[in-house]
Amino acid sequence: MMNCEDLNEALVDLVDGRLDGAEQRSLERHLEGCANCRALVDDMRSIRAAAFMLDRREPQPETWSKLRAAIAQNPNSARSETRSRLPVWLAAAAALIVATGIGVWPLLNRAASPHDDAPAASASDSPPATVESVTAEFEAAEKHYQKAIDDLQTIANKDTGELDPQVAAVLQKNLTVIDQAISESRDALKAQPANQTAQSGLFDALRTKVALLQQTVELINEMRKGNQAEAGQRLQTLSQ
Amino acid sequence: MVDTNHFTRRHVCLCEWYLSPSTSPEMTPSNSAGDVKSADLDLVGRIRSGDETAFEALYRQHATRLYNLASRMLGTRGEADDLLQDIFLLAYRKIGSFRGESSLGTWLYRLAMNHCLDVLRNRQTRMGMQTDSLDEPDAAPVASPVPLVGAVSRIDLERAIETLPPACRAAFLLHDVEGFGHQEVGAMLGISDGTSKSQVHKARMRIRAYLAHGLKVKN
Repeated sequence: MMNCEDLNEALVDLVDGRLDGAEQRSLERHLEGCANCRALVDDMRSIRAAAFMLDRREPQPETWSKLRAAIAQNPNSARSETRSRLPVWLAAAAALIVATGIGVWPLLNRAASPHDDAPAASASDSPPATVESVTAEFEAAEKHYQKAIDDLQTIANKDTGELDPQVAAVLQKNLTVIDQAISESRDALKAQPANQTAQSGLFDALRTKVALLQQTVELINEMRKGNQAEAGQRLQTLSQ
Repeated sequence: MVDTNHFTRRHVCLCEWYLSPSTSPEMTPSNSAGDVKSADLDLVGRIRSGDETAFEALYRQHATRLYNLASRMLGTRGEADDLLQDIFLLAYRKIGSFRGESSLGTWLYRLAMNHCLDVLRNRQTRMGMQTDSLDEPDAAPVASPVPLVGAVSRIDLERAIETLPPACRAAFLLHDVEGFGHQEVGAMLGISDGTSKSQVHKARMRIRAYLAHGLKVKN
């Protein structure tokens, strides 16, 4: 006679359709006479079916571009290794980027989240967003980025004289293109302040500029150290 | 009522998984284990040599599934994109440690689940909560609930999953939501097949108790 307490593993196999014929018949005989186990198996099957039908969620499209930028900035080593070999002034610049990311992302996630069916438990953690609150958070995030760009630009401007004139010209050309994109996104936002596509476009351009300036600072640093291999790699990243 | 769109989407996803070059040997009926291993090693070699398209291929192949796992492991979607990025950054930096002993997919999911569990454990430690071990049996038995009536709603199920302890949530998501077998779940979580089975059972029992309680409250 089967004991219900000992059936747990067999019930999992039954629900998952992994019992052989003899085992299944034996368990089914038990279920015929045991309403509790029968109800349990029915419920397990319902849960399993519902689990398989849960929504498929998609990552934000820009997650890949952010990941690619993160790898391009630091292609070969772990974050902790990078921190330990940076000079003080460059570490400050890197910390600035990290601080910007930490400061901005919670704001961005609220301001431009594409997920309109987030679980109720997480939605209840934060107050409901209004057009005013989203716009205020967006402006705060933009200021955060702009501050990072200004500080990095100061560092980069001070030392771009050390760059090969051809590299400096390419850099300047890229910065001009990005500035143009920033300017166009800002114009679009003036017309439609709550437009998520325009907000996302502006942040993409700001992030690109931060990344480009950071790569420039890293290149200058490697050149100063006389590290030709690393400098070549930074230059290659910068040229992509 | 069955939503055929959801079924089709999952079905397509699973078909893509079966056909992908870096999936686990157990899940590739048309490919031999040797072919899969060779494809995985080839992809890893290209990533290590700096071929960005190879890493993008790995990302495109696994990102959606890992995003679903990460968002349900963490219980909030706001953090899931950051978590997905962290997982792939970790994978990129550790790809040199892949030796082809398991499939690249299994290696990546193990890395991802370890990272999710670390994040959850850190979060719970900060909140002063106890965390469960993957190998320990459930100390607190789940009370027998009243049987469920009717189909399980997705919203109720999502909420029930959020209440699961991290380890059995991981096993449940991998097995019942993503459709991996216990052998793969065991390899991804670093536990035996039997422990995977008992974790999934524990998760289903807890979900049943949660749903039954919820239905009683509603009625």
